[in-house]
Amino acid sequence: MGTSLATDGSDRKKVLYTSLIFMGLGHIVRLKEWVKGIFFALIEVIFICFIPLICTKLYDLVNIGVDQSSITDASQRKMSTFMMIDGFVAIAFIAIFAVIYYISVKSALHSYEDYCVNGQYADNRDALRGISGKAFPIVGLTPALALIIFFVIVPLVFAAASGFTNWSNPDHIPPGGSVNWVGLENYIDMFGGNATWASSFGRIAIWTLIWGACATGTSYFAGMVMAVILNEAKIKIKPLFRAIFILPYAIPSILSMMVWKNLLNGSAGTVNRTLRAIGILGETQSIGWLSDSTMAKFTCILINLWQGFPYFMMLIAGQMTAISADIFEAAAIDGANKVQIFKSITLPMVLYQTIPLIIMSFTFNINNFGVIFFLTGGAPNVTSTTTTKAGATDIIVTWIYKLTMDDMNYKYASVLAMVVFVVLTPFAIFNFKNTKSFKEGEL
Amino acid sequence: MKGTRKHIVLTTILVIFLILISLIVLYPIVFVVSAAFAPGNTATGLSIIPFADGFTLDHFTYLFNETNFTLWFQNTLIIAICTSALSVIVCSLAAYIFSRFKFTLKKTMLMALLVLQIFPSFVGMIAIYVIINRMHAYDQLWGLVLVYVAGNVPYNTWLVKSYLDTIPKSLDEAARIDGANHFTIFSRVVLPIAKPILIFLAITTFTGPWMDWIFPKLVLGSNEKQTLALGLFSFVTDRKDQFTTFAAGALLVAVPFIFFFVITQKQQTESLGAAAVKE
Repeated sequence: MGTSLATDGSDRKKVLYTSLIFMGLGHIVRLKEWVKGIFFALIEVIFICFIPLICTKLYDLVNIGVDQSSITDASQRKMSTFMMIDGFVAIAFIAIFAVIYYISVKSALHSYEDYCVNGQYADNRDALRGISGKAFPIVGLTPALALIIFFVIVPLVFAAASGFTNWSNPDHIPPGGSVNWVGLENYIDMFGGNATWASSFGRIAIWTLIWGACATGTSYFAGMVMAVILNEAKIKIKPLFRAIFILPYAIPSILSMMVWKNLLNGSAGTVNRTLRAIGILGETQSIGWLSDSTMAKFTCILINLWQGFPYFMMLIAGQMTAISADIFEAAAIDGANKVQIFKSITLPMVLYQTIPLIIMSFTFNINNFGVIFFLTGGAPNVTSTTTTKAGATDIIVTWIYKLTMDDMNYKYASVLAMVVFVVLTPFAIFNFKNTKSFKEGEL
Repeated sequence: MKGTRKHIVLTTILVIFLILISLIVLYPIVFVVSAAFAPGNTATGLSIIPFADGFTLDHFTYLFNETNFTLWFQNTLIIAICTSALSVIVCSLAAYIFSRFKFTLKKTMLMALLVLQIFPSFVGMIAIYVIINRMHAYDQLWGLVLVYVAGNVPYNTWLVKSYLDTIPKSLDEAARIDGANHFTIFSRVVLPIAKPILIFLAITTFTGPWMDWIFPKLVLGSNEKQTLALGLFSFVTDRKDQFTTFAAGALLVAVPFIFFFVITQKQQTESLGAAAVKE
């Protein structure tokens, strides 16, 4: 054991195997790096101490639906949902441990390479001194990683997993009832197995896509028109108009949506009364802005336009000023008129620059909870609403929200969330591929 | 001659068009301002002409004396400040390390951050509810802050990292030769240069919690712990119709918000452009 290692790299395997046997062993036995070795070994010892606990948690995760009726004291019964979350947290810990193990082996091999170059063991005093330096990345990353693991990754895994359980009202809600794994049942239901749910899903999915496209398209078009007008018009009070048009963007969306809801509400709503007062509607007529299924959809898109065009107006105006004046001058010298300049210079350039933002806006609108939820709340109801809770204007996000908060139908909510994810991922990847850091290969 | 006449006609049409759009844009805003000062309760009871119902400050006194409005405001402010401060600290530290250090699995971690950023936050909603309960953080402001900060990390770490990548590494090295350690370099050299992106990060993470509704609804239960969005919403539910009180509260929130927007508009509009692809 005391023999020194070969410096020609031939003992790489020795170091590798010793490191694999027990975390840190390679550092201690082969490389005489006591500080690092003991640190890694301690981690493994701590992990081994927790193995029984982790195993129970994993066992519980598999058997979340275990019959606990023999336990008379209800407060002593384990809740299926807690068993699930604990199980995934346990898996997270195993994963963290595996990563540290991997890092320790890598570190041992790295030290061996250094040894081959230097011909001598690293000084342990250096390791001690270097701790403030070497530990900095670890200490600095820990908060970010811990937050991401426990509040982003574990919830996502949990959410994906609940789609494979029967977690729903009324029989399978802890602590009263227990949840159990059911395989692909919910997915089969949603994609055709259960006629009511499948038809609701189809209806909502189509409307969600139409909504996403219309909401983005109308806002972009209107923003473009306003930007061009404000750019070209020779009016003195232009800044005033610009300030007014930006207002809907500056006001928190939830507030404006709730105001619009009250303005458009019912036949006695302010908008209907105003239309009657100025004679557009007859004395007894009223427009069912939010109460008619088709009209409500138009209203959603209209109100979203009210709120959404300033963003694109500002954006496009910014892009238009960024186009070099030389190009316009050259075009003007060549005898192009304003329409031609707009058509063949401004429009293509602006469009090209804003395509990623259009896509971002589309994915945002697909998930635009605020407008739909606070304006219509998914209403008006249709025939299947009593069973599936999906109203005429509900998009998938608001439907998920209703299923979760009002109906406690977590199993179907989870299936829907996964659908949204699968549909949106390609868009996100497309946008990512357009980012600067990706193109320059800095990743 | 003909050209100028055509021009005048065109300008007039444009001005009329702009005024028309302005009216539509301003309509709900003017209506809310008038409702906030109008006597009565419901929106349907108000005159269709703004400010025609008279003037009263009752709704404001009601908000401050008989509801938890000040508490809600305080809660929201605490949540927003903590979320903003923690997000800046956590994201800038992680971004600095991702930008300056080489370590095992770095690429994998960066990719993971990107993929995670795709997920809409509501996907994990149910699980966050369970975790919050498991941590005994239900109805606690800090629980909500944790949820917000965690949600901010993936995207904003990337944002700050991309910015830090543009700062020349020779600056760090010069400081290192002078004997500065990593933390000193981070806090004294890198952070001051990264100020614009950090200010942007602070602003966006500060405004986020003000009008979020989903997570406060999920995490906060009691009336004393609610945020402004929840509180204001409670005035105009199916069971209750206190539109004028809501309007007064909305005004108190929206005015500082617009003010804040005007002050920070430069940063916000710059960021809009920054999100676009730059060749």
